[in-house]
Amino acid sequence: MKLSVGWINEFVDLPINDPGELCDVFNQLGLEVETWQAVEAGFSGVIVAEVTEVLLHPNADKLRVVTLDTGSGLHTVVCGAWNFEAGATVPLAMPGAVLPGGFEVGSRKIRGVESPGMICSERELGLGEGSEGILMLGEGYAPLGADFASTLPYPDVVFDLDITPNRPDAMSVYGVARDLAACFGLPLRGPNTGFEEEGQPTTASVRVEDSERCPRFTAREIRDLAIGPSPLWMRLRLRDCGVRAINNVVDVTNYVTLELGQPLHAFDLDRVPEETLVIRRAAPGEHLTTLDSIDRVLSDEDLLVAGPSDGLALAGIMGGENSEVAPDTTRVLLEVAHFSAPHTLLSGWRQKLRSEASARFERGVDPELPPIASGRAAALMGRLAGGAIAPGFIDIYPTPIEPVVVELPAAETERLLGVAIPPSEIAGILTRLGCEVEGDGPFRVTVPTYRPDVTRPADLVEEIARLYGYDNIPSSLPRGPGGGLSRTQRRARLASAAMVGAGYSEVMSFSFVAPGDIAALGLPPDDPRNRPIRIRNPLNEEQALLRTSLLPGLLTALRVNQARNHPSAALFETGLVFLPGPADLPDQPRRLAFAAVGPRPAPRWTGEGPDRDATDAVGVLESLAGALGIEMQIEQGSDGAFHPGRCGTVLVGGWAVGVVGEIHPAVASAFEVTGRVAAGEIDLDAVLAAESGAPFLPPSPLPPVVFDLAFDVDAGVPAGQLTAVVAAAGGPTVESVTLFDVFSGPPLAEGRKSLAVRLTVRDPERTLTDEEVAPLRSAVAAAVAERLDGRLRGG
Amino acid sequence: MGSADHLREIEADALGRLGAAGDLEALAILEAEVIGPGSPIMEARRGLKDVPQEDRKELGRAINEVKTSIDAAIAARRRHLAASAGEARLAAERLDITLPGRAPARGTHHLVRQVWDEVVDIFMALGYSVADGPEVETAHYNFDALNTPPTHPSRFESDTLYVDYGDDPEGVLLRTQTSPVQARYMEAHPPPVYIVSPGRTYRRDTTDATHTPVFHQMEGLAVDDHITFADLKGTLAYFANEFFGSGRQVRFQPHFFPFTEPSAEMHFSCFACDGSGCRTCGHSGWIELLGCGMVDPNVLATAGYDPAAVSGFAFGMGIDRLAMIRYGIPELRYFFDPDLRVLGQFR
Ligand SMILES: [Zn+2]
Repeated sequence: MKLSVGWINEFVDLPINDPGELCDVFNQLGLEVETWQAVEAGFSGVIVAEVTEVLLHPNADKLRVVTLDTGSGLHTVVCGAWNFEAGATVPLAMPGAVLPGGFEVGSRKIRGVESPGMICSERELGLGEGSEGILMLGEGYAPLGADFASTLPYPDVVFDLDITPNRPDAMSVYGVARDLAACFGLPLRGPNTGFEEEGQPTTASVRVEDSERCPRFTAREIRDLAIGPSPLWMRLRLRDCGVRAINNVVDVTNYVTLELGQPLHAFDLDRVPEETLVIRRAAPGEHLTTLDSIDRVLSDEDLLVAGPSDGLALAGIMGGENSEVAPDTTRVLLEVAHFSAPHTLLSGWRQKLRSEASARFERGVDPELPPIASGRAAALMGRLAGGAIAPGFIDIYPTPIEPVVVELPAAETERLLGVAIPPSEIAGILTRLGCEVEGDGPFRVTVPTYRPDVTRPADLVEEIARLYGYDNIPSSLPRGPGGGLSRTQRRARLASAAMVGAGYSEVMSFSFVAPGDIAALGLPPDDPRNRPIRIRNPLNEEQALLRTSLLPGLLTALRVNQARNHPSAALFETGLVFLPGPADLPDQPRRLAFAAVGPRPAPRWTGEGPDRDATDAVGVLESLAGALGIEMQIEQGSDGAFHPGRCGTVLVGGWAVGVVGEIHPAVASAFEVTGRVAAGEIDLDAVLAAESGAPFLPPSPLPPVVFDLAFDVDAGVPAGQLTAVVAAAGGPTVESVTLFDVFSGPPLAEGRKSLAVRLTVRDPERTLTDEEVAPLRSAVAAAVAERLDGRLRGG
Repeated sequence: MGSADHLREIEADALGRLGAAGDLEALAILEAEVIGPGSPIMEARRGLKDVPQEDRKELGRAINEVKTSIDAAIAARRRHLAASAGEARLAAERLDITLPGRAPARGTHHLVRQVWDEVVDIFMALGYSVADGPEVETAHYNFDALNTPPTHPSRFESDTLYVDYGDDPEGVLLRTQTSPVQARYMEAHPPPVYIVSPGRTYRRDTTDATHTPVFHQMEGLAVDDHITFADLKGTLAYFANEFFGSGRQVRFQPHFFPFTEPSAEMHFSCFACDGSGCRTCGHSGWIELLGCGMVDPNVLATAGYDPAAVSGFAFGMGIDRLAMIRYGIPELRYFFDPDLRVLGQFR
């Protein structure tokens, strides 16, 4: 909201005028300054003059030779504008004058006639974008010869304040002046509302059918109006506050809205059928064309100010075209009403329409303001548009809104602020803010109706703090009971650190995916990841679904890197995925996923490493399990998004917690990723919850027996299964079974492969001999033969 | 034979030849020749049995002296040659130590995660715990429990992403703040409460320099029987100095949030220019950091607390914003850019 310091000074004599200092004051009051700007007349050397004679230029059809009275003599210039005749008061730039943009006015010959200086338009003086013609100042504007710049309300400073929704009282020049007066402890002057009624009482009438949405409605007839431009000072004020000047009647309603925060609307009374206003709900589907020329379809929740049949205005938001003040308007019915805040907000929202009026009503306007604003506007219209104010002020206010009374406990201020403010100072602050205060703690506080936000002790404490000054409240540092991270939170950090240590960089993707991303995973129809939850009002279709897996985000990230010439990339992400579940909210498990493509990193000078494949993905999980101190098994598995022959199920404590391997080539190419993609996705919550830390075993001083066994098995036997069978058959003395060689081809038969394992066998009690280990060898060989159809090679 | 002169000759000859041995291999051959079987000194020792009894003892001692002398010379020569051989090998093994090292590849933690963890650590040092909750949330916890009026614009479909889940079209949404975590936490725990809730939040914004539909918030809550606005000021001043470095001044201005009363906006003196004005702070010397305030009595009551018995403060800040300010990152979208040239700088 824009307002000028000069305007504020009409209501309170500010003790400071420095914009920087005022900025601090506004901010400390919670009236946040967005920007401020000094405004001044951008010209000099321009005087007020009266046209005494206008002659046609002897040598040019479109020019005239104009003689003016400058107060100290006559002055003749050539002028190309035709919007004035003798008797007009105009701004005259004398030779030597400087106009906006640094343009210096001189004396020059125009088609043979000497023209020292020029008569100026609004645009040439930087006073507006208005009409092309010469700026008409009006009779008696100022003494002839007066310096025109000094007649303007400049220099001034315009502040743009960001008023928070809880401060409807500050949505006006007067309201801001009131807050400043309270802050500085200065008296506040009321607006000038003096006028005389004249003529016959009005015959207009008003009926309010919905006093919930319209608790108060006032109307006043003003006659004999002469529509024309507003005086320059008013046009400049409006312009500086960002409002376009229209005509003297409409400008007055806008001016008073800015000044007092009370929206007003003027109906052309000759265009109000039967001179009757009815405030009623719209009929469902009823139409109204508002002043912005939009034909609006209304609902029965919208409130209309209507004539006997048709709507004339969308109440509290915008007037209708059908009753608009026009150049030929001579009498208006001035509406100054109080519309309820929530209904105005919702109505504006339904119509996607916000105006200066609705911006105020939707926050809550003081219900005591309508008669004051009506009087202020009437006085101005009488003065500026020649209006005669008809007797018969209509004021429909069946259930007056009573001021709220709040009981403020004596200790409440200190309890919430942590500073002991003397009771007299508390009472003083509240009184300055317009409250009536009884008692000296507890306080019985009657809150003025312009502060609808203040209804509770905490609200009063905020007001006290605001004027006491947030800066004057001390600082203290309380400490909590000490919580620290939970086990899961600590282990989540460990997991991330393990991924980073394994060479993976963390990315953050949006939690949304496009329908195509889910389809591209190639999952079977019954896979839960194929049932993403929809966003009802997505920004676009690409962000319409909640992710059911972190893989689409990672595959997209790999594509981005390949496209930007990073052939080797290893990325991971942790975050929630969203799946339909039985509860009121979706299941939202936390996942960790990773994906890597391209050569394994190596220092450049030693040559590039080989491309990653599924074993890299398994290796990452081994690092992760190691960092977390948990046992993790991989079983041959399958997943629609993964290579059918290079996919493992990840098990922790016997439970499947994820998938690992290589992304299916078709899925990779659907995401436009080239090459093998090593990847995995695990349920992080389950992995972090897993038991960790096996019991400590003191190392045995006895030597182990170490020997190797190679088995000829079917090519389909997983190595993990062989080592498990060997370990189980070997019994408790087998300390470790490590796979160290895999090969196929001659001398093995077609479809067979060799898996070689190294066993470390140790008895904690005594040194084993090779002879003692022999039965163990036989038992292992027998178990492999029986369970896996494997033959001990060379044995 | 066997005279003292002869022994001196043997010794001189052996020592002379040993001195000429150029490397350990030559020394090994020489060693056999000067001291091995058949060498002059060993021959002399063998001939000792033919020496008359009365001379044998003295000659034997002389032979042993020469043998000891040759042995010592061999050992000395061997040490000398071994030392120079080692030096030669080391010289040959010279490596350009400025070549890039051979280290396991390391990734990077996302910058937002780093800031997230750092802020958590700062508040943990003050005795706070970390609470988290669902990102798809009910309108009850996201709005109602936080005193947001039914007509508040933040509920509008232009601002909030609603999720198609359940029967109420406005019942389930992507949380717009992490405060619902606080509402849930208060319901489940009696005071005192000292928590921070970092997490992912959402708004219906098109991506541009300062907006993304996904962002990260860190909200804090302290509720106890003596919490005041002074505590809020002190806590956030502590945070600003821990995170942005000591010497930060803080300023609080009245503001408005539905869930706090009184409410404030906190600014801190620019860390880049120390308050004199620069690009980082838009030449004002101050940087707007966060919104905060005393927990609204309605929020406490909704959580089942007695607003007359306990009080609390709450604050909320953008983790992404903290990262942008501290590291001079010009646009929010970089946090969602997986380009390794971006991620690689997050170290
Ligand atoms: Zn700065």
